[in-house]
Amino acid sequence: MSELHPQNQLPPLLEASEITVRFGGLTAVDGVDAVFRAGELVGIIGPNGAGKTTFFNAISGVLRPTSGKLLVDGHDLIGRNPHRYAAHGIARTFQTPRVFADMAVRDNVEFGLKFAGRRPRPWVFWGPETRVPWALRTPESILELIGLAQLGNLPAAAITPSQQRLLEIGMALATRPRLLLLDEVAAGLTEAELENMAQLIRRIRDELDLSVIWIEHAVTTLLRHVERVIVLHQGRKIADASPAEVVRNPDVIEAYLGDEMESTA
Amino acid sequence: MNSRQTLLRDVLILFAFAGWAVALPGFASDFVLSLALTCLMYVALSTSWALFCGTTRYLSLATAAFFGVGAYTSALLVETWPWWQVVALGALVAALLAVFMGALVLHLRGTYFAILTFGMTELIRHTVTFYESTVTGTVGRMILVAPDSKTVYYTVLLLAVAAVATSIVVRRTRFGLAMRGIGSDEQRAQTLGVDTRLVKIGGFALTAAFAGAVGAAMAVRWTYIDPTTVFNPFIGFQTVLIALIGGAMTLWGPLLAAILFSILAETLRLQAPELYMMSLGLLLILFVLYLPGGLASVRWFMLHAAWSALREGWRVRRYRWSGQQARDEARARQRARERRHV
Repeated sequence: MSELHPQNQLPPLLEASEITVRFGGLTAVDGVDAVFRAGELVGIIGPNGAGKTTFFNAISGVLRPTSGKLLVDGHDLIGRNPHRYAAHGIARTFQTPRVFADMAVRDNVEFGLKFAGRRPRPWVFWGPETRVPWALRTPESILELIGLAQLGNLPAAAITPSQQRLLEIGMALATRPRLLLLDEVAAGLTEAELENMAQLIRRIRDELDLSVIWIEHAVTTLLRHVERVIVLHQGRKIADASPAEVVRNPDVIEAYLGDEMESTA
Repeated sequence: MNSRQTLLRDVLILFAFAGWAVALPGFASDFVLSLALTCLMYVALSTSWALFCGTTRYLSLATAAFFGVGAYTSALLVETWPWWQVVALGALVAALLAVFMGALVLHLRGTYFAILTFGMTELIRHTVTFYESTVTGTVGRMILVAPDSKTVYYTVLLLAVAAVATSIVVRRTRFGLAMRGIGSDEQRAQTLGVDTRLVKIGGFALTAAFAGAVGAAMAVRWTYIDPTTVFNPFIGFQTVLIALIGGAMTLWGPLLAAILFSILAETLRLQAPELYMMSLGLLLILFVLYLPGGLASVRWFMLHAAWSALREGWRVRRYRWSGQQARDEARARQRARERRHV
């Protein structure tokens, strides 16, 4: 990244250094450093098995990294339970939608609002919650934002997989995060749905004042929308730059992109 | 039905049941009263069990341990302490045991959790037996001064009502929602901000407190207690069975099943005790296979559908067995043959 980039001046929201995850003899993530600042939209790409999801699990507390340091807003959270991460404003979605199937769509969204998303009220038990963006005030406003307002009363098991992916985002947003980790939210979507999803992610970032880290297999769409890309290959970080620079990086081209990138570059 | 209407309905049903139970000692015989007492005991045990284990889907077999600990607390103190304090202390001791036990085993799931809670129950039973035989030099304990049976009945009734009321209230709180989330997808609940460890230990302790209080209240019915009676694993199993057959996720299922079971138990146990155990096992298998949601998940349309399916099945059989099907098929074959000749 160049020094001219304005976001370099912002304090880091999440600072991961030397994150390593080993499963027995296999090193899934190998000493990855990454800094995420407020308001950034960062993409993570890499071939299958590059350690993208494992890295996500490590920085969202789901998986304890074998070694490394992790500072969230200045707090060291290594080894803490995932709900502490959520309380510090880190929300995530899962690769396969993990919605609460037996609850209504609206209740799925409300869940996050009642736990990590809870904010103090001006009076002890009532009144609007303080310092919450309008779009994240109520379950209804969140459903409106993700476009599921009509489906609020259906059980979450009854909606389509692509709607469940949207619901996953809604559940994560309900924790009123400052950093949103999206793990292949657009997998299996059609071309048009993919574009809509990308638009939604940009809108969330722009309007809700949060930063987004987005893992995706649909590289061309991802590169069109993000400002910075981290490329993982065999557990190592091989590039961390703007999309335009990444597509010209010889390591990246050799490791992964090949002819898929030729069309974009 | 919106949530306020559901609340009203639940509270009214609870009032109705409690009213019947309060009035019962006024006109019922001793036999009916003791039947009702067993019934209320299982209502309290299985409703409170379902409150935690049903919603979080952590199958605990430790009810017998909490029951036994409560019973022993009662046996030691009932002669010197006021009655309600004995019951409260039984609850407290059981809850503390549950906190300790939960901290050790609640990170496990499924079969491992079930087996470990069962193992710990056995461990506690043998520890108490060992302690009694080596340190105090007795096998069991006599309870000589005990409150009369009406006091016991009303105490257990109060506990049963409290268990159902707690269940109604907890379902509408964040605590209950957190437990539902844990039952649905524990890790997802965690990433949405639920301190699952705290919630699980709290829920387990709540269940145990009820079991301990019921144990403390029921101990005085026996006049003589020893570890084999009060730590009887069958108490734990039957609680689980009742809750599962009634519907562990539902509010009224355990209560419904507890009433049915106590009546079934009393009628069968006198004539054919083996038949009772066999019917329990058979019922469990049938329910797990065909009605996993339990008794309380039955709806009118299901009965209707089952009835229609039965009638349809019989219609097909009648058609076959009456010979009509064979005649129709023979005629069809004959027609096909004629068509070929033409």
